[in-house]
This record gives sequence, C-alpha cells and structure tokens, in this order.
Amino acid sequence: MKVENHTHLQDEQILWAVIDESDLARHAQEHLRGCPVCKRKVEQFRYELRDFGQKASLAVPPFSRPVRLPREKPAAGSHNVGWLPVFGAAAMAAFVVFFYFMGMETVAPTQFASLQNQENLLEDESLMREIAEIVEVPLPADVYAISGDNETGFYEGLYEISGDDGTGFAEDMDEINGDNGTGYDEDFLEFVVPDLQDDFQSEFI
Amino acid sequence: MSLKITALVEKARDGNRPSFQDLVTIFQEDIYRLAYYRTFSQMDAEDLTQEVFEQAYRKLNSLNDPQRFRAWLYSIAVNRCNDFLRKRKYMALLQMRTAQEQDFMATGKDMNNSYNDKIEKKRFWKQVKTMLHKLSSMERQVFTLRFMDHRNINEIASILDKNESTIKTHLYRALNKVRGEADFFKEYRESLS
Ligand SMILES: [Zn+2]
Repeated sequence: MKVENHTHLQDEQILWAVIDESDLARHAQEHLRGCPVCKRKVEQFRYELRDFGQKASLAVPPFSRPVRLPREKPAAGSHNVGWLPVFGAAAMAAFVVFFYFMGMETVAPTQFASLQNQENLLEDESLMREIAEIVEVPLPADVYAISGDNETGFYEGLYEISGDDGTGFAEDMDEINGDNGTGYDEDFLEFVVPDLQDDFQSEFI
Repeated sequence: MSLKITALVEKARDGNRPSFQDLVTIFQEDIYRLAYYRTFSQMDAEDLTQEVFEQAYRKLNSLNDPQRFRAWLYSIAVNRCNDFLRKRKYMALLQMRTAQEQDFMATGKDMNNSYNDKIEKKRFWKQVKTMLHKLSSMERQVFTLRFMDHRNINEIASILDKNESTIKTHLYRALNKVRGEADFFKEYRESLS
C-alpha cells in the first residue's frame, strides 16, 4: 500500500479510499489529497455507489402496511426478573411435597436396580408359563376334535367346557373327518401340529 | 443518534406506548426497505417489519444504552431476515410457493406505476440480485448495510457484532467483486482504464 507521492494510487488503494481514506498509508493519503486523477476515481465510485443506493430506495414498492403495536405493554423494569427463580423454587417445593404425600418415596439406585431385576424375573416366569402352556396345548380345541384325538385328555375336557355330552359336536367332527372315532390321521396331525419335541423337549408326544 | 430519539427510547422503555409508536413511525420504512433488500418481496418485507417492531417492543427493556437503539433495532431486523431467508430456502426445497413468487404475479398493489416503470424496476432488481449473488453471505450483509441501508462502518460493526476492521475487509472484498461485474459502476470502471 506504500506509494510515492508522484505515483497514482493502485486500484486496491482506490477501493480502500472509498471505504475509509484514513486506512491508507500516509503517503497514499497525501497523494490522494493532491492528485485530481485519483481523487476523481474515488469520487466517481462513491458517487455511483450512492446513486445505486438511491435507485434501490426508489425501486422498493411503497410501504403499504404500517406497523401495529401489540395491545400489551412491556412491563416497565421487567428486565428485573428476580421473581422468576422464586416462582421456580416454589413450584419445585410444591412438586416435592406433593409426591412425598402421595407416598412416592425416593428409591436408592441399588434398590431400584434390584426392583427392576425382580420385575424382570416375574416377567420371565410368566413368559415361561405361557410357553409351557403353548407346548402342552399348542392348538385350539377344535383341531383336536378334527383329528379325533381323545387320548390326550383334552377332548374330554373340551366337552366339559362346552357342556356337550359327547353326542353332538363330536359326531359332527367325525362326519367332517370321515372318521368314525377309531383313531386319527397321523399325517394330518403332523401337518397341523409340527413336532415340538426338538424345540422344547416336551413330554406331550 | 439524535437526542429526540434517545429521549423517545427512554420514555418507551419506561412503558410509554406513544413514545414507542413515535419510534415506529420514524423507523418503520427504513426497516421495511432493509427487509425488502433481503427478501425482494413486498409482502414478506411488510410481515417482517411488523415482526421486528413487535419483538423490539417486547424486548425494549433489554436495551441498556438508549443511544444504541438504531443499531439494536437493525440487528433485530437483520437477524429476523436471516431466519426468514433460511426458512424460505427450506420451503423452496419443498417446492412451496413463496411470497416472492406471489408478489411477482400480483399486479393490483402497485397500480400507480406505469408498465414501463415496473419493467424497469424488475430489471433493476434482477441486476441487484445477480450482483449480490456473487458475494459471500458476510460480504452481501456489509455491502447492503453500507450502500443500501446507508449505515456507517461503526454502526455496521455494532449491528453485526464484529469489529470495524472485519467489516472493512468484507466491504473491500465486496467492492472488489461488484466493481468488475455489475452494470451499476460503469463510469468508475471506465475511469480506471
Ligand atoms: Zn494520482
């Protein structure tokens, strides 16, 4: 940026002069003050920038919607928000008291963990019970009726549940099966009830 | 900033609504133009002007120095516009029609201007957009604040919360780009050759 007094300013110095002449080096500032050529360049760019700004201002569509202030006033001195922490503390205290009287006592993390374990064990147990039941009685009763199986004890139970004396439902099933109650179709049963032995080591079969 | 404005700010800060209303009257068109230079949409610029003053009204108590009111108001406006432009960019991705497009199609609002005038303005803004598009976000920001919003370096530094030398550097880069590419500064360019 250092320029001799007799040398015209470079383009970049002209730009700096447009922004702020005082940022130029002392020599450049002195040159600019005494040189009409450089002065004209700076003035020309400033003029065009000003002209551009004016054109922009004139080209903006007219402002047609004056601002309307909201009804509520900003509370004077509301930058002092000292009441906020107080309110927060009061709310927190009320919260704690409420749960204390509701009987929700604090649970230590270790206790909490053991409670969770217990809960998991209960869930596992109930799941295992369900699995055992499914293994024992994997299909709805009518499937056994269709298959004519009466050796499992299930068939009789079904009558007890349905209140049937063994003359109605079973006969219908026999008709459907074309079976007269002498046994069951093993292939059909195998198809409907896949062998569970491998999976569950069940005593069913 | 004038003493009158400082006095109005002080009164408004004490809850005097008419004083704030006077501030609105003084600044609303400046803020509208600021918003227009960034959105190129009358509808959006008017919405933003409303929002800027609502926000200023609500937060006036956070302004510690009443003499900084204009810079503070402009910084709210600039930030609001930036948020809006980000949102608009996102909406454009979703191919939703923007107010800018609606403005382009609306003809009823600007009936006072002749057809030629409208064409002239449209061409002008197209050139402006092309020129501003070549600038980085910060260059565009400082160029617009300096030469369209007519703010001085000190104020721009305050509005954008940067130091003056940073503002000058971005301004220098912006001028260096626009002088060679825009149609606006032909005579200056010719004076160099
Ligand atoms: Zn010279």
